[in-house]
Amino acid sequence: MIRFVSARYSGVAIALHWLTAALVFVNLTLGVSMVPLPLSPQKLQWYMWHKWVGITVFIVVCARLAWRATRRPPPHAAMPDWQRRAADGSHLAMYVLLTLVPISGWLYSSSTGIQVVYLGLFPLPDLVPKDRTLASVLKWTHYGLNSALFALVLVHVSAALKHHFIDRDGTLARMLPAAWTRSHS
Amino acid sequence: MKLPLLRLPSLAVPLLLAAVTLAAPVAGAQDVLVDKSEIRFVAKQLGVNVEGRFRKWKANVVFLPADLGKSKAEFDIDLASIDLASEDSEREIRGGLWFDTGKFPVAHFSSTAIKDLGGDKYEIAGALTLKGVKRDIVVPIALKKDAAGNRVAEGSFTLMRLDYNIGTGMWSDTKTVTNDVIVRVRIVLPPAA
Repeated sequence: MIRFVSARYSGVAIALHWLTAALVFVNLTLGVSMVPLPLSPQKLQWYMWHKWVGITVFIVVCARLAWRATRRPPPHAAMPDWQRRAADGSHLAMYVLLTLVPISGWLYSSSTGIQVVYLGLFPLPDLVPKDRTLASVLKWTHYGLNSALFALVLVHVSAALKHHFIDRDGTLARMLPAAWTRSHS
Repeated sequence: MKLPLLRLPSLAVPLLLAAVTLAAPVAGAQDVLVDKSEIRFVAKQLGVNVEGRFRKWKANVVFLPADLGKSKAEFDIDLASIDLASEDSEREIRGGLWFDTGKFPVAHFSSTAIKDLGGDKYEIAGALTLKGVKRDIVVPIALKKDAAGNRVAEGSFTLMRLDYNIGTGMWSDTKTVTNDVIVRVRIVLPPAA
């Protein structure tokens, strides 16, 4: 079966994309699971891992932005103009959220008086002082930004699947590893 | 009719006297400027420093550099007034595995001897009672004056939480919360009279 495959993202962009996806999936799951737990050593451990994964997302997203800034992404497959704009808009919004979500978590941690020590090795500066009111604001900010990110991820995944299975226009294949695309085309 | 009238004052007078005696300040006691003073502590939780403090405590300090024998320091700390990272952790620490404030609401320190180390440095020895456990501790302090001429005593000591059965059960693993808790005290007294 011959299918049109447009120019693909670079190997680096593809690797960073799927790394981000895996980390975000892990951290959303961890975040949603750990919050309702009663306080215990395990809960503290999960919070710590959550912070580490979050900072990793931040670093990976910075790398992606740097990579993206220096090269052009492959062109869109043929699609209506509004879809192209929606795609570009949601990609931009996801980059913004993927940056703001870890920062809001970091600030939230600082405002509770608990410094983030990345991987137990690198202490991040506390950019805000310990403050109960601020902590409450930042907690809901972190939650709100995550809800928005989660909604966008759902739209992003749905759109990718729609392009792949309904439109069959090769949009998803642009972001799949070359080996995967070969074995499935 | 006469009996109650007679009995009431006979009981009331000694009670009243006792109350007056208790309320009277100890000779030479100096009011600690509580707003400027603080009792803080820091421990490591999973390798990260976590600080806290007590919002409510009382002190009775008599500090006479020329007469250390008559000097003393007494503290009553309201353990439920602890200020930690979150309300969640404050609730936990008031519970049975930690302070158990329902049963042991107050930590008490009472000095037994104050030693002059020279250079405005002193060593306060005393007994700390925490969660029903009484232990001797030594707190080194340094004395200085702030801009307003107040006397500021700053000191710190390391408390082993498990010595006082603080953080038992699932919290007894010192990899989660260190056994060492550094307590930092800053006591501000008005200028000497």
